[in-house]
This record gives sequence, structure tokens and C-alpha cells, in this order.
Amino acid sequence: MSRDIFIVSNSVDELGGVSSWSHRMAELLSARGHGVQLIGIAPAVLHKDFGDDLPYGMTTLYSERPASAWTPRYPWQRLDGKARRQEAQRAAGVRSAAARMNQLFRAARPGAVVIVTQVWAMEWVAQADLSGLQVIGMTHESYETCKATSRYGRVKRYYADVDRLVALTDEDADAWIRDGMNSTCGIPNPLPFSLPETVPSATKTVISIGRLSQEKGYDLLLEAWATVVDRRPGWQLKVYGLGEEEAALRAQCTALGLDGSVEFAGRTDDVPGALAGASIFAMSSRGEGFPISLMEAMACGVPCVAFDCAPGVREIIRDGEDGLLAPTGNTTALAKQLGRLMDDQELRDTMAKKAREAIVRYSPEQVTARWEELFALLDS
Amino acid sequence: MPPSQATPLVSIIVIVYNDAARLPRAVSSALRQSLRGVEVLIVDDCSTDDSFAVAQRLAAEHPGQVRALRLAENSGGCGGPRNHGIAEAEGEFVMFLDSDDELDDHACRNLYEAGRRTGAELVCGLSVRRFLGNRHGKTDAWYPWIYSRTRTLDSIAEMPDLLVWDTLSTNKAYRRSFLTRAKLQFPLGILYEDLLFSSQAYLAAERITLIPNRVYFWDQWPSSKDKSGASLSNRRHEIRNFTDRLEIHRRIDAMLADRGMAELKYCKDVKFLKHDLVLHLRDLPFLPEDFRQEFAEHARAYLAGLDPEAVAESPSIQRICAYLLTKGDWANLLPAIDTLLNRDKLSSTLVEKDGRIFWCDGHLDDPEGRRVLEVTDQGYHARAIGQLFLRNQLTRYASGPQGVELAGRIVNPLGRIPAGAKLAAKLEFTSRRKTLQSKFAFPVREVRHDGDGIVWSATVDLAKALRPLGVIDGVWDVRCVLTADGERTSTRLTVGDLDLSASPAAPVRPRLTRFTGDRLEPHRSARGHLAFELTAEGNAARKGTDLIERALRGEAGPIANTAVDRARAGVRGALKLRRQLNNGDTKLKVYHQLLNRLPVVKGQVVFESQQGKQYSDNPRAVYEELVRRGAPMKAVWSYSDSPKGFPSGATLVKRWSWDYLRALAQAEFWVDNQGFPYRLRKRPETTYIQTWHGSALKKMGFDLASLKRQTPVQQAEYLAGLDRFDHFVVRSEHDVRTLAPAYRVSEERLLRVGYPRNDMLRREGTAKDHQLAGELGIDLTKPVVLYAPTFRSDAAGKVKSFELPFDVEDFVERFGDRMTLLVRCHYLNKVVLPPSVSGKVIDVSDVQEVTPLYLMADALITDYSSLMFDYALLDRPMLFFAYDWDEYADDVRGTYFDLLREAPGPVLREIGDLYEALADLDLVGKEYADARRQFVAEYGEYDQGDAAKRIADLMFGAPGAQTEQEAGR
Repeated sequence: MSRDIFIVSNSVDELGGVSSWSHRMAELLSARGHGVQLIGIAPAVLHKDFGDDLPYGMTTLYSERPASAWTPRYPWQRLDGKARRQEAQRAAGVRSAAARMNQLFRAARPGAVVIVTQVWAMEWVAQADLSGLQVIGMTHESYETCKATSRYGRVKRYYADVDRLVALTDEDADAWIRDGMNSTCGIPNPLPFSLPETVPSATKTVISIGRLSQEKGYDLLLEAWATVVDRRPGWQLKVYGLGEEEAALRAQCTALGLDGSVEFAGRTDDVPGALAGASIFAMSSRGEGFPISLMEAMACGVPCVAFDCAPGVREIIRDGEDGLLAPTGNTTALAKQLGRLMDDQELRDTMAKKAREAIVRYSPEQVTARWEELFALLDS
Repeated sequence: MPPSQATPLVSIIVIVYNDAARLPRAVSSALRQSLRGVEVLIVDDCSTDDSFAVAQRLAAEHPGQVRALRLAENSGGCGGPRNHGIAEAEGEFVMFLDSDDELDDHACRNLYEAGRRTGAELVCGLSVRRFLGNRHGKTDAWYPWIYSRTRTLDSIAEMPDLLVWDTLSTNKAYRRSFLTRAKLQFPLGILYEDLLFSSQAYLAAERITLIPNRVYFWDQWPSSKDKSGASLSNRRHEIRNFTDRLEIHRRIDAMLADRGMAELKYCKDVKFLKHDLVLHLRDLPFLPEDFRQEFAEHARAYLAGLDPEAVAESPSIQRICAYLLTKGDWANLLPAIDTLLNRDKLSSTLVEKDGRIFWCDGHLDDPEGRRVLEVTDQGYHARAIGQLFLRNQLTRYASGPQGVELAGRIVNPLGRIPAGAKLAAKLEFTSRRKTLQSKFAFPVREVRHDGDGIVWSATVDLAKALRPLGVIDGVWDVRCVLTADGERTSTRLTVGDLDLSASPAAPVRPRLTRFTGDRLEPHRSARGHLAFELTAEGNAARKGTDLIERALRGEAGPIANTAVDRARAGVRGALKLRRQLNNGDTKLKVYHQLLNRLPVVKGQVVFESQQGKQYSDNPRAVYEELVRRGAPMKAVWSYSDSPKGFPSGATLVKRWSWDYLRALAQAEFWVDNQGFPYRLRKRPETTYIQTWHGSALKKMGFDLASLKRQTPVQQAEYLAGLDRFDHFVVRSEHDVRTLAPAYRVSEERLLRVGYPRNDMLRREGTAKDHQLAGELGIDLTKPVVLYAPTFRSDAAGKVKSFELPFDVEDFVERFGDRMTLLVRCHYLNKVVLPPSVSGKVIDVSDVQEVTPLYLMADALITDYSSLMFDYALLDRPMLFFAYDWDEYADDVRGTYFDLLREAPGPVLREIGDLYEALADLDLVGKEYADARRQFVAEYGEYDQGDAAKRIADLMFGAPGAQTEQEAGR
């Protein structure tokens, strides 16, 4: 059944995971015959060009980013006339933006669905007339990560009445359900590209792709690498990515005497190209949501070694089956797992094979089917 | 179901019997479902009220979606109407709903979705009990640990707990084809039909899916005496109740036997002992003799069929009760039931025989009785009286001219309270909810020994002395605090079969007027203890309390509702204010903004050891050195629990108290060995001497995964705590290589002086502490061996409970005549020794300062404890009993060096090897002499015996220089 689907985000053209997800899903759902419309509340802060001539519509409600809501900290601040006027203006802005959304919604056929990808955008959606529409809220991070931020309270408040809350994994969904969000399920992100047909033969290279920031834990990877490469000459670690920690990491690398075995290869746009020829993919993050990089590596037949820092990680990698996990922060364990895979060609081959087979469950077809099943459930 | 939909997805069978008022509420929760394809079948069990008329009205209002059905005659249970509903249902799945309960709005959607996704025949969700009359909106999830995550079972054998614990039929969706295929029906004419039906369903289902979603609200109505479940449990005195339960269990056992499911039977038997039997036993003390006999007869027959392994696995007290019940030993069983209901309580006087402790004197000639009744491992004999929770049976309750007259008898286990002990007691009344004054104490007139117990009596003038606030403090608990030779132990008053209703309730005057109640009425709490409830007897009080109750539930008039809301807010506000004034954040603010501005007191030193747990270790050695040389010091010691054992010469402050914060804020020096509270900043005028508590084998600080994984902000907070150290004491370059980087201590802050606590070990000819040896009963004429293992933790970092890795009685048999073994476990662990080894194996875990024990010990057995670094200084034999090294070294933390290679003594993996080495300690001493010297050089090079002196010099100048300074002033 063909539906009208509205995907509402903070921005439609932001450089970041959620926008990439929205465009990818819009593309996949359009290809299935649905009428898709991307709605952004405000223009992007860091703009990314997703191209023209897209098979789906795109609208942005504000021409500049709206001010954040006014919450007086002390009762007497309520007397501040200027702030009150500004707040009134802001509220009027929200209403008129919601009215524009209403126009789009009213033109929709029966069975239409609104997917709110970020809780900030829900404030506007909630003001719109949602009768006859199924509303799906999304949280694009792990439950634990969300809980540590101010978003947690807003998810619980603004998503309280959505028809379904969608988390990244079943484990995160269970956590939200235990927390009282009783209509929640998990749907994973789709692979960003189709599964490559063949896999080039591997060399003695371990690779990692990610921003060079503290959260990605490259300092820990270098620490582990120092003990691993010591007894395994000939192996190379190739790190793709840029970031604020680069200088510190290069210094650490030199201090550990690893300059001969570690290469900082800079940013890459060609992920499958970078993965070609690698034997192992390493991920040393302190925190993650649903890391696409692992899925990409596995799709390209590169087995992964990673810190078990989020449900998303242990959902993608089945420890001991198609990759290896280490407790987050435990560099000794990470080194041990890397060593295990480096020393065992046969294990690498089996895991590579299993990884490619297993990753099919995140293929665009499968993930799109999960969404369509959800739409059908909300109708029945 | 919208008419367009051919077959409904879910049929909800709502059963009703004489509940016309609540039926529409239940039905409307079924009609509110977010899943639209739902049909509702109301089945009336031939009610005598107008339930069926209401059902027909609902059907007429929702044609095509609600059907009203009626049984021709009353079936007397829930089974009949549910069976009828199953026969009439048309949905893909079937659910059951009782007329006084509700479904969650998304129940059907979530259950249906899970069933469709997994193809399960049975989908179960979480049931939540709601206490509707409760003032605070209390709810209680039903076995939430079973429903913590989504999971699918191909057989119930994968999760026996589900069958064993979740015995409800209502929190589930059954595929209708499954009910037909397996011919599932509720049994008729028997109680506990849910228990049998759910068990049958679990066993027959080819696939079961569990979801963590709440699906069913099991509502407890304020006066729900008619609710079948609740009333059942209250009618336990009816013997049929018990026999029906046994009958259902027998039928389930037969099904399990048919399928050869021994594991499930085992789990079910464990639960029967733990749960079912307890339910029935708890009321036994109050039931007439003939019932008891009949009960015991039925129980005996069923208990005989339990899996012996399940019996062996059950907690000791369950086994004891089951055993005494089969023996018909009422005199010992009735007190034992008290312990069954109050797990920590000791309700028997116990006996000691052949060096072991038994629950009671009888049955010890029966080998089974001996096995079941032994309670040595419980450690009752080794615990101080103050740490035991003793049974105190109320023997008299009456109202007299001076007030309520009470008397009771306290158990004196093993005669631990000697006949000559000085006894005193008082009664404490405490309100279960805290208000402005929630504790009143009354003296106990008489307390004395009487045979093997202690009896007391008191008269309590409640009317005069106890003034509740009213409304909030509705329930009052009573404790009897016994003091024997200065040691206090708190008891509760067990009512037993004493009739409390025989004497009139005591009058009281609540501070919030008598409208809030005028009587304190005694009752027996759920655990069998005496408690009082504020009730209303007079007319005014009755009207007042009734109004308040309604207003609390928001059911009274608007004025009363608002008044109660305001009053409630007021009391909450007052309590909150008091909490806030004393909470951590307020204290931190005051500390940083106010106390830190007070002037520094010259010479004030705050000492703390193991975060206040002890007066010990390096801080103590520094303190004693300063006292010895008469330094101009104002000493303050911090303690966490009790000031017992701390020096009288110092000011003692409780950790985190206002005095503690003030002492820290104004101190010139901080001296500790672990870390003053991390959130307390140190002002620059204060010097912090971190003496640390030991060299490291296991990884520490920033070398731990738990710190490495943190965010920069969290790491910065931790680092700020570490940056307070002005000096960090090390005892070797090993520390400099390991601890210093792990705690980010820079070179200039390192104090290479060694550990003050070890000065004594370095001094030639330090004498053994004969007084301490005498107190502990250590025979110093024989060789003494100290066994000091460290603690172990599981993968999540939780401390595991400790069990001796060898049989101490076996040890005594081999070596008891030749040597004394001291056992000192880590302060996070506990050990229990049987009386049979007393004087030969001695528990020295409670001795705060370990150094005197080192001096007494002629040899040390340890595993990985950091005390190896200290003991090595004595150059005496050391044995390493590393029975679990692989597991220990391989766990999440990791070690700094390989103990197996560097140990200054034999590393023994088997107990046989340990015994062999113990047999010739001199040989071990000689063989490893070089290794010990090397070990000391590597790990203790700065321990030269003058550490305390050098630190004292650093703080107050050398003694000579100090006099000059004084003279110069």
C-alpha cells in the first residue's frame, strides 16, 4: 500500500547522521512507491548538499533558527516584560510553523505517517493537527547515552503520546519500555550502500575510521596497539579521520614508538575503497549509538574488534561469531582480541564470511520492510 | 473491531460475577486499545445483581465489537466463564480480563505484534498491581525480573522461573489455534485454577515470547474482600485452600513427570519450599490444634515427594521448618516460623554439640535431622549480641490503670548473655513515616534472666506520653532495646497467638486535633510483630478521619480536598526543608562558600584511615609519632560508623558531619590513606599528605578500564580530586612506576620515605603484643601462621562473598597441635569458623591494626593481598596459596607484574601443596631467603623505619628546630 510519509527533523540538510538517515530512508521509501516529504524545522548549522532532483519533497519551516523557549528560573523573572514579549513572539512563530505543517498534513491521503526523527522537532509537530495521522517518534542514540543528557526528559515528555517510539535496537527499546514508554520498538539503521559483490584479498592491515575525538577513544587504541604490534612485526594500523585530538594522538604515537606501524591517513569519502585490503576493523569508542562504520566494515568482509560500549555495538557484532568485543576502556582485553584475530588467518576468514552473511539483516530491503510492517501494525 | 475487518486479531474475554458497577470500567479499557481489531466477550457467571444487564447494554452500544454471554448457572469460579469465552471467541489471539481490573492501552498491540513477529503460541507481558485506595498511588510490578527484556523460548525448559513464579493467566495472549490444538481448559470446582492453566499453557506451547511491556493492571481495591485472589489468601484457615493447592501441584508434577522435566520439577520444588509452604506456615501459630494436625498430615505426604536436591538447596530455615513440620515438632516449629518470616531473626536458643551449632536440641540422633538442623555456617555463635536480631515473644498484653501492660521473653542463644550480666531495657515506639517527632521511649520496669531466656515487663502510658501528629504517622512500630553489659540489641515484639483485641485501644491526642484519630489500636503486622494504628472511635474522630481519607484520595468536597492538599504540601515542605538542610549538596555549598573562609587553625591536622572505617595504618602511625614527640598539634580523627577504638586524645568527628567539614576547612594538614571526599576542594593554605594504603599488584586509578572509558568532564573531576595531594608517600620505585602515573602524581609531589605503618616492622626486636594475643586467645608458645587472602570480584566489579578455600577442621586435624592459624579476610569480606576449631583457628578480621598481627605471625599465607609487600620486611616465610590465579589475573582489572615469577615464596595451587609446605616452614624460609631480599629491595626499598619521623618533620619541623622556633616567638 502506498502512503504519504512525512519525515520531520531539526534540519533537512545538516551534516550529520540523522540527515543522512532521513535522506537514505526517503530514497528507499520513495523507491517503494510511497510519497515522501522531508520537513526541517530550521536551516542547518553545518550545511551538507544532498543534491538536487531528489525523488522526494523537502521543506524548511523557518528561514533562520528560532530562539529557544524561555523558562524563567525564579518567579520574579516572570515580570520581565521584554522576555515575555519575545516569548510570545516565539510561541506565535511555533504556531505559524505548525500551521504550515498542517497544510502539508491535510493534503495527505488516509493512512499517512509522520516520523519525527529528533525530539526537538516534536515541539512543533505536537502543535499541528495530527488527527488521522500515525505519529512515530525516534531516538537516534542509545538509551544510556540519552539518559545522560537533557534530551532524556524531553523524550519522556514530548514522545509520551506518540503512537510508536522507535529506538535503534531491541535492547534500547526494552530499556525505554521498562522506563514506562510502553509503545516502543527497535528498528536498526540501514546499510548506507548495497552489499559489494566481491571482497578483495586482505593484507596485514588493521584499519579504523572515525572522527579523531576523545569519544572515539583512539588514545586507547594506540595503547592497545603498542602491546599488540610488539610481537607481531609487519602489521600496520591505518586510522582514517580528522579531528581535534589529532596532534595529541600523533604525539602519543611517537611517544609509544609506533610511528613505524601507525599511519594517520586523513579523511576519506570512499569507505569501501578504504576498507579494501584491510584484515581487521578496530573500533575503540567510549560511546556510540548504532555505529554505521561497523556495518560498512562487515559488509565489505572485514571482521571487527570493538569496545562493547552500546547495545548497538553488540547487536551488530555477535561476539565470537562474526567479530570480537572487549569491555569498554579495557585496553588489555582490546589488545588480546586484536591479537587473537591477527594471529589466526582461519578465524579471520570465518568471521569475515559470517559477517557478510549476517549484515544482510541491515540491508535496505530488510530495514524498509521493517518500517512498512510498523506502518501496517499501526493501522490494524 | 471495525465492521470492515473479517476476523478480529484479539478476543478479550471479560468475566464478571456480581460486579455490575466496575464492569464498564474494565470493558472500556478493552475498547480503548490502540490495536483496533479487538472483540470483547463479556461472560457473566450467572450474577444475581444486574451485571448481565450492564453487559447487554455495553453490547448494544458497541455492536459488532462487544458480545454479552451468560452461563446458565453459577460456576463458582473463574474457570467456567473463561472456558465458555474460549469456545465463543473468534480472534486470532485470546486474552482474559477480570471485571475489576484493566488492560494497558497498548496491551493488545504489543502482545499481538510480538506474537506475529515470532510466531509464538503464547505471549506474556508484565502485570502491575495497583493499590487503588492507597494515598500515594502505590504500584507493584509482578516479578519484573522475569520480564526485564524481550525474549523468545522454544521450550519452557529454557526458563523454569517463568512457570515457577508467573502463575497468572491474565497477563497473556494465547493463540486460539493453540488453545484448540492443546485442548486447554480451566479446571472446574477447584481453587488455584490459574496456576494449573498457566502451567499447562507453558508446557504445551511450542514457542513462548516474553515482552517487558506492562499489559495488565491487577487492581487491589480498598475493601476488596470479595476479590477472589485476595480473599483466597485471607481464607487460608480453610483446609481446602491448602489441599486444593497441593492437588494442583500434584497435577503439575504429573505433567512434568510425563515429559521427563526433572529440572523444572526441581525449580518448582525449590519455590514450593520458599514460597507456597511459607504462605501457609505463617498463619499456623494462630490456628487450632486439630487444623495443625491435619495440615501437617497433608504437608508430610507432599513434602516426601519433593526432589531431595531441591530440599538441600533451599535456605536453611525453610529446610528446618519443613523438617520440623514432618516431625510434628510444634514446640520448635512455631519459633522457627518466626525466622521464616523475618530472615535475620534468631528465634531459637540453639545448642552446641561436638564443636558445631544446631537449631535445637531434639532430632540430633537422626542423621537427617543433624544435617538439616546444623546452622554453624550462619555464624550466629560468632556474631556479637548487638548484631543479632533476637526473638522477643510477647507474653502479656493488657490495659491497666497506669496504661498498657506489656511483658515478654527474649531468646538468649547459647547463653551468650551471661547470668551475671547487667541488664536494662526500654521500649521504643517509632512512627513508620517520619514526622517532626517520630520516636517515643518508655522505660522497662523489670528485666531479668529466667531459665534459658530473658523476661521483661513494662507499663506504658500511651495516653499521656505518646503524641502522634495525626494523618501522616498512622502506624507505629514497637521495639524493645535490651542492653546487656553495655551492649545494645534491638528486638521486635512477636505477638504470636496472644489476643490483642481483648483489651480496649489506648486513647491518644494527636497534635492535629482529635479529628485525625483518638485511639491507638494494637495489631499484628505482616511479619507478626506488635504495631499500633491510629484509629477513630469517638464520633468526631470517625467523621474527621473519614473526611480526611476521602480528601486524600481526592473524593471529598473541594474545600476539604484543597485543605488536605495544602496540609500535605506543608508537611512535605517542612520535611523536605529538613532533608535539604542536611543533604550533600547543601553541605558542599556551605563548605565551599562559608566554611572555607574561616581562618585556618594553626596545627590542626585531620586524620582519616580507610575513609573513616578504622583507626589504623599510615595515618595512625603519623599521629602516634606526632603525639609521642609532643608536636603542637590539634588532632582531629574522622570515623564513619562508630567512634569506638579511636584515640581519646583527638577530637573525633563523624565523616560528612558538619563538624567534619568544618575541621577539614580549617585544617593546616590533611593526612589520610585513600582520599577525602572527592567533591571537597582543598584550600591552598592546607597541606594534603596522601600516605596511601599499599603498593599495587592489581591495576589502579587511570589504568582501570572504568576510568579510561570516562568522558573528559568525568576524568577532569576525578583528576581535580587527585590534584589536591601535595605529597604522595611511596615506598619503592615500583610505586613510582605504577601508582604515580595511575594517579597522575608528578615527580615533585612524591615523598620517598616509605610507609609509617611499617616502621615497627623495620625496628629491631619489636616485641609481640601479648595483651592483644591474650584478648584473641592466641597461644604464643606455638608457631603462629597468618592467613590473609584478598577479596575477589565478579565481572561487573561486585565483591564476591568469601568462602575459605580449604576445610579448617581438616587443617586442625593435621596441624592443630603444632600451630595456630589466624584468619584475616579483607574488610569487604566475612568469614565464619565453627566452634570445633576454636583456639586453633582464630578469626582476626575485626582487629583494626594489622601490624601487631604481622609481628605475632611466624609465617604468612596469602594469595594476592598487597600486605605481602609489608610482611616481606620481616624476612619470615611466606606462602602464596594462589588456587585461582588464572581466573584472578585474567579478570577485567589486570596486574602490574607477574606474581608467579616474582613471589618471594612458593606459589601453591593445590591445598595438598600448601599442607606440604606448612609441614616444613623452616625449609621454605631458607629456600626463599634470597628471593625475599630481592623482593624487599624491589618493592620496599624506602621502608627504612623512619617514615613517620620524616613525615612529622615535614609537618612540624624536626623536634630540635621546633624548640628554636618556639623560642623565637
